[in-house]
Amino acid sequence: MALLEVKDLRTSFHTEDGIVGAVDGVSFSLEKGETLGIVGESGSGKSVTCLTIMGLNAKRNTVSSGEALWKGKNLLDMKPRELRDVRGNEISMIFQDPMTSLNPVQTIGNQLIEAVQLHRDVSQRVARARAVELLKAVGIPRAEGRIDDYPHQFSGGMRQRVMIAMALINDPDLLIADEPTTALDVTTQAQIINLMKRLQEDFGSAIIFITHDLGVVAETADDVLVMYAARVVEHADVDQLFGRPQHPYTWGLMGSLPRLETDLDRLIQIPGQPPSLLRPPAGCRFHPRCPHVMEVCKTTVPELVPTQRDPEHLQACHLDEETKDREAAKLLEATMAKAG
Amino acid sequence: MEAAQAPEARGDELLVVNDVKKYFPITRGIIFQKQIGSVQAVDGVSFSVKKGETLGIVGESGCGKSTLARCIVKLLDTTGGGISFDGRDITKLSRTAMRPIRREMTMIFQDPYASLNPRKRVGFIIGEPLEVHNLGSSSEIKMRVQELLEVVGLNPEHYNRFPHEFSGGQRQRIGVARALAVNPKLIVCDEPVSALDVSVQAQILNLLKDLQDDFGLTYIFIAHDLNVVRHISDRVLVMYLGKVVEIASRDLLYAEPKHPYTGALLSAVPIANPALGRKREPIVLEGDVPSPVNPPSACHFHPRCPRFVQGHCDVEEPPLYPFGNGHVAACHYPLERWPMSADEIRRASSPVQSPSSQSREELPA
Ligand SMILES: Nc1ncnc2c1ncn2[C@@H]1O[C@H](COP(=O)(O)OP(=O)(O)OP(=O)(O)O)[C@@H](O)[C@H]1O
Ligand SMILES: Nc1ncnc2c1ncn2[C@@H]1O[C@H](COP(=O)(O)OP(=O)(O)OP(=O)(O)O)[C@@H](O)[C@H]1O
Ligand SMILES: [Mg+2]
Ligand SMILES: [Mg+2]
Repeated sequence: MALLEVKDLRTSFHTEDGIVGAVDGVSFSLEKGETLGIVGESGSGKSVTCLTIMGLNAKRNTVSSGEALWKGKNLLDMKPRELRDVRGNEISMIFQDPMTSLNPVQTIGNQLIEAVQLHRDVSQRVARARAVELLKAVGIPRAEGRIDDYPHQFSGGMRQRVMIAMALINDPDLLIADEPTTALDVTTQAQIINLMKRLQEDFGSAIIFITHDLGVVAETADDVLVMYAARVVEHADVDQLFGRPQHPYTWGLMGSLPRLETDLDRLIQIPGQPPSLLRPPAGCRFHPRCPHVMEVCKTTVPELVPTQRDPEHLQACHLDEETKDREAAKLLEATMAKAG
Repeated sequence: MEAAQAPEARGDELLVVNDVKKYFPITRGIIFQKQIGSVQAVDGVSFSVKKGETLGIVGESGCGKSTLARCIVKLLDTTGGGISFDGRDITKLSRTAMRPIRREMTMIFQDPYASLNPRKRVGFIIGEPLEVHNLGSSSEIKMRVQELLEVVGLNPEHYNRFPHEFSGGQRQRIGVARALAVNPKLIVCDEPVSALDVSVQAQILNLLKDLQDDFGLTYIFIAHDLNVVRHISDRVLVMYLGKVVEIASRDLLYAEPKHPYTGALLSAVPIANPALGRKREPIVLEGDVPSPVNPPSACHFHPRCPRFVQGHCDVEEPPLYPFGNGHVAACHYPLERWPMSADEIRRASSPVQSPSSQSREELPA
């Protein structure tokens, strides 16, 4: 049994202007000790996928369906009580917006202590010591002194690290990290990634890592999921994904990357505007922006199916495999040439 | 508090920052607040930015970048030093005197959510600065807002939504649109693209460059992504614990970093290629991140520096030594070449000669 198995997850929001289909049929599974990277267009449903798994979407205007089996039990069916026991203890999440998830009128320390005591029966003193330990581990200088500060007294990256400390404080079995290192410089980022790897080694925890940084994905993930307009368009082992990407959107992503080694006056961007989720394009949702578009793409939704070569490499594109391999090779050659 | 020196703007400089300091008091006690120390978030930073130029700022989390940015746009009062913008000394300007200038310099905030009013719709949020400065009728403003939504890659359908109904990257773009609305001269961008996928990021970076080409916009660009900074910047400033440790043209900084901290940063950039990436050997910084409350003596970097020389680096604060072509770095034992292995870095050769024996050059501001 997989640690987490997500099947045909769907979430939509009812807004004044209509129904926003934010997640539309996402499936994946995750084993103990594994790291799944999720990349994709801004607004493609990465955060909402995870918030749905955690049962954290606003109830009022949200409809979800599908399954998220946690150790065999569907999180979507759990009672609020049950869910609260799992959340913050077995599964914890580092949120994308640190300032909104920290309480501005509570000290950093109290928030961390509360996170410990919610799930463990320990004294204030023990919880506080644990909080200091974690703040040190995420590289907050003078942690003992700063634990009584309020969130606004911390820099952006320090707040992000407090969130990370909070998520790690109970040694979770699954850590969902939504852009955990965007506000961090590369050296602090490296430190945080090491910390996450250590959690994995010590406790066999699994990690879902959402990030825009393809470099970070390449260096941390075992498997990678690529999302576009609420759907999964590609899912593969990290070496496969970077070595033989099969979806035109993935090519677009890799081609847009500014790289230290290259000199370009203008970055390559995927032409056209991101799609509307109120009225998504018919057929393949990427077709209006795809340089390889064919007639079939405009009418028929491509299914997420394995490539002929590799049953583990899933992709959703109508192009024939020969063309895809050729394009992938071209892209790689171009980026390698740039890397010189 | 020190007296503010009114900095002189020379010729084509749009912004001159002279020895700016920002200390936050640390207080204890609830009724009788007593100051027991201070966070020296920005500690004597000087630099200037030319019209139409992009200055990138990089540095460790918590080193004072956002504080510096907030001082520049006068959201924070400085503890010391002076700032001049477009030939005017703005250090001591009152709120009212600042108002017309606020149109000319805007800021993109690091925390997009915290800087957007949660109770207002996005159309209003982006149009607000236009209304405040009386820049058009309400139908003109609406058109302008819709145009702005499009240039930052959002949909017209987003006009009526509230900030919480957006994804992280979409919110960041709302902040970008708002900063662009009033056609400013200077935009201080604090991590403007960190939450964006690389394609939308490319769209925003290209947009910023186009605006610069068309309207001569000037940017201060704070970011952690060194690839992005390299792409967008003409010059790059590296900060460490409240101080400038290196300034150089983009090409020089990336090709010949002088400060060991800059070297460590460059060596830590993740590579989007699993095979290459696993072989990468970052220079690991030893030791704890120091605190800006009790910064280490002399060179603030010395406790973590692989080239630390006892009795020198911890005693004598290194000035910004010149290395030619406007490249300056505050290190007694600068890197001789680049790239270097961690081992080579540890074997520092003799200290730099005193600045007087080098080709004389003007230090920045
Ligand atoms: N409460 C809400 N009401 C309406 N639409 C919403 C709401 N929350 C999110 N959305 C929309 O759902 C889509 C998916 O959002 P999500 O936050 O999952 O994106 P994401 O992939 O995490 O993007 P990013 O990389 O920018 O963080 C977005 O287009 C967003 O505008
Ligand atoms: N209002 C405040 N009161 C006390 N200390 C503060 C306040 N604002 C910032 N600081 C401190 O000043 C230092 C610099 O913060 P700043 O936000 O400028 O860092 P930064 O370089 O922008 O970091 P990051 O990359 O993480 O955003 C930090 O140690 C921070 O805790
Ligand atoms: Mg998100
Ligand atoms: Mg900051």
